[in-house]
Amino acid sequence: MSDVKTHSIDISAMQREQQALNIENEKVCLSVKDLHLYYGEKEALKGVNMIIPEKKVTAFIGPSGCGKSTLLRCFNRMNDLVDSCRITGEINLHDSNIYTKGTDVAELRRRVGMVFQKPNPFPKSIYENVAYGLRIQGINKKRVLDETVEWALRSAALWDEVKDRLHESALGMSGGQQQRLVIARTVAVKPEVLLLDEPASALDPISTLKIEELIHELKKDFTIAIVTHNMQQAARVSDYTAFMYMGDLIEFGDTNTLFTNPGKQQTEDYITGRYG
Amino acid sequence: MKMQKKSVSEWVKSGDPWVWLNAGAVAISVIMVVGLLLLIAVRGLGHFWPADVVQATYSLPGDKAYTIAAERVESVEVTSAQLREAGVQLPDDSEEFLQRTLLKMGNRDVYGADFGWVLDKYLSDIETPEMLFAAERHEWGNLYGYLMSVKEDGRIVSETSDVTATASALATWAMFEKSIERAATIHDDIKDIEKYDIGKINHALERIRLKQRRFELDGELTPAVEADLAAERSQYDEAYRGLQANLAALYQQINRDSFVVRVMDGTEHEIQVSKIVHAFRPNAMGVTEKMGFYFVKVWEFLTDEPREANTEGGVFPAIFGTVMMVLLMTIIVTPFGVVAAVYLREYASQGWVTRVIRIAVNNLAGVPSIVYGVFGLGFFIYFLGSGIDEAFFPEALPSPTFGTGGLMWASITLALLTVPVVIVATEEGLSRIPRNVREGSLALGATKFETLWRVVLPMASPAIMTGVILAVARAAGEVAPLMLVGVVKLAPSLPLDGNYPFIHLDQKFMHLGFHIYDVGFQSPNVEAARPLVYATALLLVMVIALLNLSAVTIRNHLREKYKSLEM
Repeated sequence: MSDVKTHSIDISAMQREQQALNIENEKVCLSVKDLHLYYGEKEALKGVNMIIPEKKVTAFIGPSGCGKSTLLRCFNRMNDLVDSCRITGEINLHDSNIYTKGTDVAELRRRVGMVFQKPNPFPKSIYENVAYGLRIQGINKKRVLDETVEWALRSAALWDEVKDRLHESALGMSGGQQQRLVIARTVAVKPEVLLLDEPASALDPISTLKIEELIHELKKDFTIAIVTHNMQQAARVSDYTAFMYMGDLIEFGDTNTLFTNPGKQQTEDYITGRYG
Repeated sequence: MKMQKKSVSEWVKSGDPWVWLNAGAVAISVIMVVGLLLLIAVRGLGHFWPADVVQATYSLPGDKAYTIAAERVESVEVTSAQLREAGVQLPDDSEEFLQRTLLKMGNRDVYGADFGWVLDKYLSDIETPEMLFAAERHEWGNLYGYLMSVKEDGRIVSETSDVTATASALATWAMFEKSIERAATIHDDIKDIEKYDIGKINHALERIRLKQRRFELDGELTPAVEADLAAERSQYDEAYRGLQANLAALYQQINRDSFVVRVMDGTEHEIQVSKIVHAFRPNAMGVTEKMGFYFVKVWEFLTDEPREANTEGGVFPAIFGTVMMVLLMTIIVTPFGVVAAVYLREYASQGWVTRVIRIAVNNLAGVPSIVYGVFGLGFFIYFLGSGIDEAFFPEALPSPTFGTGGLMWASITLALLTVPVVIVATEEGLSRIPRNVREGSLALGATKFETLWRVVLPMASPAIMTGVILAVARAAGEVAPLMLVGVVKLAPSLPLDGNYPFIHLDQKFMHLGFHIYDVGFQSPNVEAARPLVYATALLLVMVIALLNLSAVTIRNHLREKYKSLEM
């Protein structure tokens, strides 16, 4: 069902980035080399090669089941939890392959944080939710915790809303607040990379807007990779966009070019709403 | 006709009969449960009410007439044929149905039996005299009669010749009550000394004996050590002699007073006041007084030790034993069940081995409990227990320490019995924790263990508590296996007391469930025991309800705390 409105992309948002972006000039944070991923017999990623540039927002778009979430979950080895999952190829985080045998997965996940589609706060207080990652690292000094919790909540633009009820249960917050809390929780351990797996898909438009503003703020400090179903969102928040289809990376480039002048027919079909 | 048929089928289609069927089933269940509780409550609680003592003349045809004083217990209707068969000589013209009443006549030492059936028809001159009193004794059951005099050191201090409420009779009664109160105080002192002070010394002496035996076994019993032990022992002996002297003095004091009672056959008996627990004149008591007396009796039932082969007194040791056993069982079963469930659900690979284990665990819940008792006896007591005795308590042999039934083995046996319930409930709980919460923790750099410990287990704790509740409910009501692994009809001391090491896990204990069985079916005095069976049964139900209620409260609290996102 093609609809003219689906490709009415917010041009002004794209034009916020004035300087011309060029992937060749970026510092590499993550690089993916010939990555194949199998769920049992099924090949879910068919040889992906790309980089995730540092301190930029990279968006992954594509129809459902194209492998974009799977790829995102490879960056912090979340796929290890799936028994039937097998991976070949490599992913380097600053020149060290995260899929070598000796990798400390917990340490990797500390460096590559992740926010999921549905807000998943722990059934603890707001404060304890944010402090969770620190406590895991053995940090229990109250002063350090207090400072980090405040900083993280401020980074997630949540501090002013919750500073008076830090010790109330996180489950009493609205969905949008919960998702920002989860972002604060992830930010609190100061990772290098933030992986956002459709972070706003379960939220209302206002909350979505807040999350998008937040992403814009966070990219000053973090490398961000975001999976989204919403092409307008990808266009609004990202610097680079990767279009995936059936386990293949079809096209990867700066967002502006990809949306206005896609290099591949498949990409153009998708962003103009011809399928997906 | 056709019309009606259609309406019936429509009625069936409408689902109404289905609703009626379901509601009916629920109603029947509720009625049965409520009826059961009512029955045991009425029978059990009625026992403590001080009933009027009636005096009457009983003249069965062909028998000599005599006077009786007794409490009515129950009445039934019987046929005269039945009575004739039982050897009662009824006149030929007597009615077909006769009312027969069970009377509690007391005075077992005088009459031989304290309960008896009488035919209402042949009772005459029924009255409830005010001065007729009932006395509960430490031995021989109740006493009914008229107080004639009170003596101190054999010297009469107050007497009366009246069996009506004259001034002299009341004065004698007042004297009697004062004397009982004094005796009760002394009796408590004696009990304290015997139970706590002398108990402590006995405990210490036993430890010295064991110490000596241990030295002997190790071949280290030098004369010096022996002298040390002897000195220690003589110290306790000294203390014991002191207490003994105290006791002798107290005994002399308690035996000072006596009283003379005239029982119904007209004979007078002199009895020591120290033998009396309570004395009261139920016929002279108003409703308020009776209520007060009632609560005293209920309280006594809850807090006292049993007397007279468990047919009198209280059931406190049995309550204590039941609660303590259930708590110990809970402490053992919870970590064990949780750990097993965590392994099965979280760590074990979900292959056919895990499936077989899971089926085996589920089937364990269906094994009859007596089988667990046999296993507990054979494995825990005979095998493990005697092993422990040989390794750690050789000095006490040949008398066993852990090689015989006791609190610990009973708790462990019941823990084994209930562990499947906890495993199943915990697994259920673990499987319901949303995957995204686990991933959230892992994504923050927590290991699997940290995730389990800090997020998953707390969130699963209400489910774990559900398992514990089911385990408690099952364990508290279990009797059969306990009879093999440590319950006794009368335990001399509680498994928790002031003597080192305070909790005596090796000790045998009393249990309400077994108490019911013992009082009801092993008692020499069936009629006296019957109401106690109901009272104890009611108490057992209440104890279980209370244990469950506290567990449910904890679970609700946890649920509130860990109520998850959209489950």
